[in-house]
Order: sequence, then structure tokens, then C-alpha cells
Amino acid sequence: MKTLFLLSLLSLSAFAIETDISGNIEGQARHSTNNSAAKDDLFQDWDQEEFYLLYGNLNGKVEMDAFKLETNWFVRHSVSPLYDPAPHPIRGDVPYAATQIYTFPNRLVARDVFKLQYDHQQDNYRTESILNKFFIEWNYDEHRVTAGRMYINYGLGETFNPINPFNQPTGLTAISQVAQGNDGGSVAFFLSDKYTVEFLLLGDKRIEGYEGQIDHTLWVHGEYQYSDKLQLDYVVGEDQNRQKVGGQVAYRFVEAMVFTQLLYQSNLVTHKPSNNLWDFMLGYDQQVSALWHVRIEGGYQKANRYLTAGTFGDRFLPTEYFIALANVYEVHPLVKLNGTVVNDIKSGFTYFIAKSIYSFKDNYEAELFGYVPVAKGDAADNPAQKLVTTDLGVALRAFF
Amino acid sequence: MLNKIFRKEFVFCAALGANVNNADEWLKYADKEMRGDKSRGVMVMTIKTPNWTRTLEIESDVEGKKQALSTILAPAKEKGIRTLRIENNMWNYFPKLKRKVAVSSSMLLASWMGSDFTNDDVLKSSSMSEDYSHKFIADEGEYKVIENTAKTTSKVMWPKITSYSSKTDCLPRIYNYYDKENKLRRVLTLSELKTFDGHKFLTHWEMKPQDDATKSTVLDYKSMEFNPSFKPGHFTQQNLTGK
Repeated sequence: MKTLFLLSLLSLSAFAIETDISGNIEGQARHSTNNSAAKDDLFQDWDQEEFYLLYGNLNGKVEMDAFKLETNWFVRHSVSPLYDPAPHPIRGDVPYAATQIYTFPNRLVARDVFKLQYDHQQDNYRTESILNKFFIEWNYDEHRVTAGRMYINYGLGETFNPINPFNQPTGLTAISQVAQGNDGGSVAFFLSDKYTVEFLLLGDKRIEGYEGQIDHTLWVHGEYQYSDKLQLDYVVGEDQNRQKVGGQVAYRFVEAMVFTQLLYQSNLVTHKPSNNLWDFMLGYDQQVSALWHVRIEGGYQKANRYLTAGTFGDRFLPTEYFIALANVYEVHPLVKLNGTVVNDIKSGFTYFIAKSIYSFKDNYEAELFGYVPVAKGDAADNPAQKLVTTDLGVALRAFF
Repeated sequence: MLNKIFRKEFVFCAALGANVNNADEWLKYADKEMRGDKSRGVMVMTIKTPNWTRTLEIESDVEGKKQALSTILAPAKEKGIRTLRIENNMWNYFPKLKRKVAVSSSMLLASWMGSDFTNDDVLKSSSMSEDYSHKFIADEGEYKVIENTAKTTSKVMWPKITSYSSKTDCLPRIYNYYDKENKLRRVLTLSELKTFDGHKFLTHWEMKPQDDATKSTVLDYKSMEFNPSFKPGHFTQQNLTGK
């Protein structure tokens, strides 16, 4: 009897269920001053306004032996007169474009088959609620099978990460605690400690709208640790009706890391009018001292001449040629200063982002942030640069 | 019982006494007791300054010198962040965003989560007995003072460390860390001896940087398990990213 009892205890512990709930909530307030060029040329006829944002994640996880179920519920509520502009003969009564910049990434699911979201904009506010993660995962020997809405996160770029179209980098944005979901499935093979390859099959309805057909993504991402210092990544597949191929090379010195990415995108396979695209980036990352961290990213993203309103907002960086220099300095174990300068080499447009993060208590942070376009450049090269505003804001965030 | 333990330690140290001029034996013994072949520890890290205190709870799994995996258990802000080291390769994993970041080996020397300990301290990539040459340099009361000098073949942060080992149990109580200019940079004090799975282990560690007398970091081991049975593939990227 005693043996039976012990055996039953053992069998229960062998299939123990572990659960975890965690999340964060953040409130932001910013004062914004409009770019005069946006006012004159792009019908953004406002001078100074306030923008208030509250967002949060509620993450749930259930684990049982080799299986795992994970969910994330993302909620965002923003309030500003910028949502409720006076009707304009050309612009109409759509909210000012700045609202999209302040809430980037606007799309919480990069490749979506199911909506699973609530989005309501009325008067001077907008409320969004979305299940941007909901997947089941099974680890079996050296394989991992995932199905559902999942995060896909790889690549070293923090301001520009072209080899991963499934999760936009948030290195320059004011919203940091967010990742994009993707609907579909994946199978990963951990072939050795050094080589992993993942096959992805995703669906996407947003190109034609939810009434249209599902466009598929077939994607392969491989990661190979060639040596202690050298890591190679490759990507190949078809995504959003373009064939894409590219890779990343990262070389780690003792003191620093250098990395580069290249991605080529063919014309649309649907034979609709299009041009091919290619992106290139070169990065450098160094921990200069125990307190000072430097990162430089520069590159080129070929302009899509057939960009439509529907694809606006896919990328936060409004430049074609760019170089970004980011410095993080820890002035105190609780206080970090973060300064980033982004320059468009072609137009001369320069953007400065300053953040000061203060951690108080274990699970609370306060942040002061400023976004300043310090040089206007020749906006004819990239009209979107006119939309960049001057902002000063404060954020409070809590983790649980 | 106390008498029995005392006798055992006394007898052991007497046995080591035959090699009393061999500091290598002392350090090998200390490594064997404190590190073992593999271990799992749960510790509470408290970072202290005059104005604030910050506490983290960490689980640390170590196998030999080549493999280590640490997981932050608390607070909520950092909960779940994991660090895997396989030989000279190191990765951080942030599960909430499913982001894995390869870390350059220079980061082994960087501060761990703003504390006075480095990644190297937490991930135990260097071994005092294997990476350093040792010699006795003094007798100070109840301690033997040992000078540990980095071997030319070792990739370690500190070229010289002096340790004060108890003559009673042969385990270190104080480590003084010197930089390339032979300047004392930090002092680690160990206390509160306990026994886990037959290993003698000091459970209270306090690190004090010498350039700021008001600051310190304390590690208190809540539990320590030697020779735990890690599942196959425990120290792999699949396991790192599977949580």
C-alpha cells in the first residue's frame, strides 16, 4: 500500500503542472510640438498637443512535462485631441499621423489569420485589446513544434533588423514592452549545440483584408555557431508575396561585436506592379566599461515605390540610408541614461532620442524621454520625415 | 555531535597537514567542496547602498567548468531571464519577448544585474584551482594566506587574488582581488558554514568594492544541492529558450 502511494506520488510529480502569470502596466504622458513642414505640406494642421497612453501585458503560461501553453493579452488605451481633428477638405477627419508614431508598433500581430482583437476609436480616444500570443509548444528530443499565435524573435538589429520581418525592432520607439505575434506553426530542429534550423508556415490575411484569401509565408531560419567568435544566420522563403533570401554574420571580439545583415526581396510573385527590394545593415556593439555601452547601426533600405496606405507604418525608421549611434550610460545602478542619434545620410534628416530611466523599488520604473528632430534635411527625399514631432514625456511602469 | 564534526575536520586538516606547504591541495580541496562536479543553488542577492536596497532571487545550475545556466526567480521585472554558458559562449534569454541575445565574452567581466558580482562570478566560468597558481605567503592567526596568480593560459579577469583560508576547515573566508596595477579592487568575505550533500559550503558571501565603501552585495544561499540529476540537454539552447 505504501509502495502504491509512493508510486502514485512519483507519477503525479512526473506530470507536474506549472503555471505562471506575469505582466506589466505603463502610463505615458507627452507634450508634442508639430513639425511645421507636416503642417504646411501634409495637412497635419496642429501646433502643440498632449498625448496620454496606458498600455499593459498580461502573460499566462501553463507547462506540463514537454508541453507548454502561453498567452499574452495586450491592452492599450490612448487619449489625445490628435484623434479628433477638425475635418479637412483633403485629409478628411482621420486622426493625425502622429498618433501612429506615438503608438508604434501599431500592428501587434505581424502575420494574422485571426483577428482576436478589439479596436475602437471615437472622439479623442482609441482603445485596443488583442491576444497577441496564444500558442502550444511541444519539445520532443531535439525538436520543438509550435502552433498558434507566436512571437518570432531573432536577429541582432535593434533599430533595423531586416532578416526578421515578423517582429519590428523597438529600439527607437517609446513602447518597449511589446512583441508582435504571428499566426501559424513552426518546427525547430536543434541539430547540435551549434546548429539550429527552424521551418515556419504562417498565414496572412491583412494584405487583402479579412474577407480575402490567406497569403502564406514559408520561411526557413538557420543559426550556425561556426566558432566561439563567429555566428552565421540565414533566412530563405516566400513572405507577403515576395521571395526573400538573406543572412546575418556576427563576429565577436573579446571587447566588442560586429554584425551585418543583408536581405533581398523579389518583385511581387502575384505579378502586380512592384519593384524588388533589398536591405543592408552593419552594426557594432561594445561594452566600453562596466557602466558604458555603445551600439552603432547603419544601413540602407531600398524604398518601395509602390507603397500604399495599407503598408504605411510597417517600419518606424523613416529613412533610406541611415546611421544610428546609441549610448547607454549607467550613472547609478538605479539610473540609466540613453542617448540615440539617427541620421539619414541622403537627406540630412537627424533625429535625437534621449531617455533617462530610474528604477525605484524592485518592480517599478520611471522614465523621462525626449524626441527631437535636430536637423530637418531635404524632406523631398522622404516625406515621412516631416511627420516626426518634437516630444517631451514621462512614463511610469510597473511589473508584476 | 559537534565533537564528532570537530574531530573529523581536525583529522582531515591533519591529513592535509602532510602537504601543508602545498597550497594547490588547499585550493583543490576548497574547489571540490564548494563547487563539486555539478550543483544547483538557489540564492538571494541583495545589492546595498546607503540610499537603497535591491533584492534578486536566482537559481544557478553548474556542471563542471564548461556549462552553467542561471535563472532569475524574482523580482517580477526580471523573472524568467536566463543566462546560458557553454564553454566560452554565452547567451541571455528574455522569455517575455522570446528574445535570445548572444553575449560577447567581455561581458563575463561586466557587472551582473548592477551588483558587485560579475557574470563570471555567477556563471562560475573560472576555477580558482585550475586557472591560478598558488603559494602560501603568510600565517595570520586562524588563517593561511595564499597568493593565487593567474596562469598565462587562463582567461580570467583578476591577475592576482589573495585568499585567507581557515586552518580549521581549509575553506576560504576572504578573497582580495587585485587588478593589473596590483591595486586592491574588491574584497569577498564568506561565512556561515553549512553542509549540503556531504559538501561543506559557506552560505553567506559579501562583496565590497574598494572604490566605494558605502556599497556592497550580499549573496545568501537558501539551498544548495550537489550532484543533482540534470536532464539530458539541460545546458542547451533548446532548454534555454524552452521556458
